Amino acid sequence: MMEIIQSKHWVEWLITISKFAFAFVPVLFILLLIPLERRGAGFIQDRQGPNRSYFKIPYFGRIRFFGWVQDACDGIKLFFKEVYAPSGVNKLIFAIAPAIPFAIVLISPCVIPWFAPMIFTMGDQVIRISGQTVDTEVGVLLLFGLSSLSAYGAVLAGWASKSKYSLLGGLRASAMTISYEVCLGLSLMGMLLLVGSFRIDAIIAWQEANVWGIVAQPVAFFCFLIAMIAETGRAPFDVAEGEPELVAGFHTEYGAMQFGLFYMGEYSHIGINSILVACLFLGGYSVPFVTTETIQANIGVSLAVLCGVFVIAILAFLHLLYRYSRWYKTSAASNKAVILREYSLYKILGWAAIVVLSAGAVVSALFFHPEFTIIDGQAVYGIGAALGTALIHILVLLAKAVFFCWIWIWVRWTLPRFRYDHVMNLGWKVILNIALVNLVVTAIIAKILGGR
Amino acid sequence: MLALIYFSILSVIAVGSALCVLLSRHPLYGALSLVVSMVSLAGIYGLLGSPFVGVVQIMVYAGAIMMLLTIVIMVLNGARDSKTPMFDRVSLFVFPSVILLALLLGFALISTPLAFSPETWRGSVALTSATLFNTDANGPGYFLLFEAIGLLLLSAMIAAVLLAKKNLGSKESEETKEVQ
Repeated sequence: MMEIIQSKHWVEWLITISKFAFAFVPVLFILLLIPLERRGAGFIQDRQGPNRSYFKIPYFGRIRFFGWVQDACDGIKLFFKEVYAPSGVNKLIFAIAPAIPFAIVLISPCVIPWFAPMIFTMGDQVIRISGQTVDTEVGVLLLFGLSSLSAYGAVLAGWASKSKYSLLGGLRASAMTISYEVCLGLSLMGMLLLVGSFRIDAIIAWQEANVWGIVAQPVAFFCFLIAMIAETGRAPFDVAEGEPELVAGFHTEYGAMQFGLFYMGEYSHIGINSILVACLFLGGYSVPFVTTETIQANIGVSLAVLCGVFVIAILAFLHLLYRYSRWYKTSAASNKAVILREYSLYKILGWAAIVVLSAGAVVSALFFHPEFTIIDGQAVYGIGAALGTALIHILVLLAKAVFFCWIWIWVRWTLPRFRYDHVMNLGWKVILNIALVNLVVTAIIAKILGGR
Repeated sequence: MLALIYFSILSVIAVGSALCVLLSRHPLYGALSLVVSMVSLAGIYGLLGSPFVGVVQIMVYAGAIMMLLTIVIMVLNGARDSKTPMFDRVSLFVFPSVILLALLLGFALISTPLAFSPETWRGSVALTSATLFNTDANGPGYFLLFEAIGLLLLSAMIAAVLLAKKNLGSKESEETKEVQ
């Protein structure tokens, strides 16, 4: 046992173990996605969305945090409701079923590369750390296998509820998953053919060296995106829940946090799928037009640019707040004094963040010039530069993923839902064939051009 | 050392859930135990240096095939079959053959020396594809079998569809066609 412990530097152990925290990233996406979904739906349907709940703090009064407080209240309500099962259900499977999709979501992120492989010197040692938690050569396949397992949650819930609506919902969920799993795999094959590996970090490295997947495989990208949206079982593909037909589908009989687990499983599934699409077709952690080596060589300036991006985002947000404030001042709203008070807190926080970030940008641009040593004809920097690069990579990946999350919400609230047989027709007769043709064409072109 | 610990855990789960398949009264519990057994087998494949085979086991067997089996049990006879007797006349043939197989396997395991190192790659992606699609004239020629199996599965699928639509062309089957 001591040999295993001593085989790595303690810093390497620390980073390797802390990489397990990435398992919770899709779960943290829930915190972002639920407010985004509710307020986004409000935005698309030209209404406010939930924003009335608040907590009180001394000077600034009622703080609503743009609806976050409402979502926190809903979450707390779900946690403290009585866990209840109707009589006649199969108790064991009824209790296990909601945990399955959620457990799968916690395992899935292990093969996602969050940053380019770190190489840095520590004392006289050179330390290499890969970007994913589990460094395996079957990356994408493992993700697909796990997501095909997660359909058991819906199927078993549907069966154990002993209700016709639930059973129909469960059967539909499994049929959807099986058929769109095929489309998913097949549309990705063209990309895998070009890269020649199942490893997600190899796919990202290929995209960094050549072009993004969305340029190389545009048809595959759209097939993949549609299949992904269908696989999460949201509108317009919500035949498994099917509110007009099946009450609530497979989770009709569930309440309290058991329902909450399905809900959280669905949202974290969106999170992991967005990260996957960003990795496979949008270059993952790679920054457009800038190579990892350039970032490492100018790490101080890169961090300054990162701070600058944040400052611009906060400035845009403040601009919005000032416009709202101006509008409220002239309006006849009865609660405008309260709202203006609340906004003043956000303004103070925003300006403070801008000051801190600008100071950080200036300091890092002027004083952060790490030393390097040449190893195997390659400049290797210290741990500071490596961690800074990893931070930039993680944030870039998350930004791309959040963009796709918005696409998920956008699609859900703008398109009418499909009927069940239309979904099956779309899957088997349209997307599957397009993906097949795309694969053949890609193979021929790759053979002519590359000759592999 | 670590590989041994993982192997012990996984093998206990695999054998235990395989026993559950045999002993469970309800067919659905049996199917679910089979899923658990298959997933832990996939883990053992991974330990043997064959991550590709392990993942394919999860995707194809635990994911797709067992899902279909579960659905069939649910829809057809999930409620009625819960009183299936554990032993019947078929067991008379099954038990001796199982014991015989166990003896045979035990003999084979004892007689061959076990040279096992978990670091050796046995079923990685590159190795599997190099073996399966080796098109050399002197190669094993598995790719021909691969294509033949593809054709066999296709014809089996078409036959299944034909059997399912017994009265193909009759008035009833025209009416049950899905609404376009």
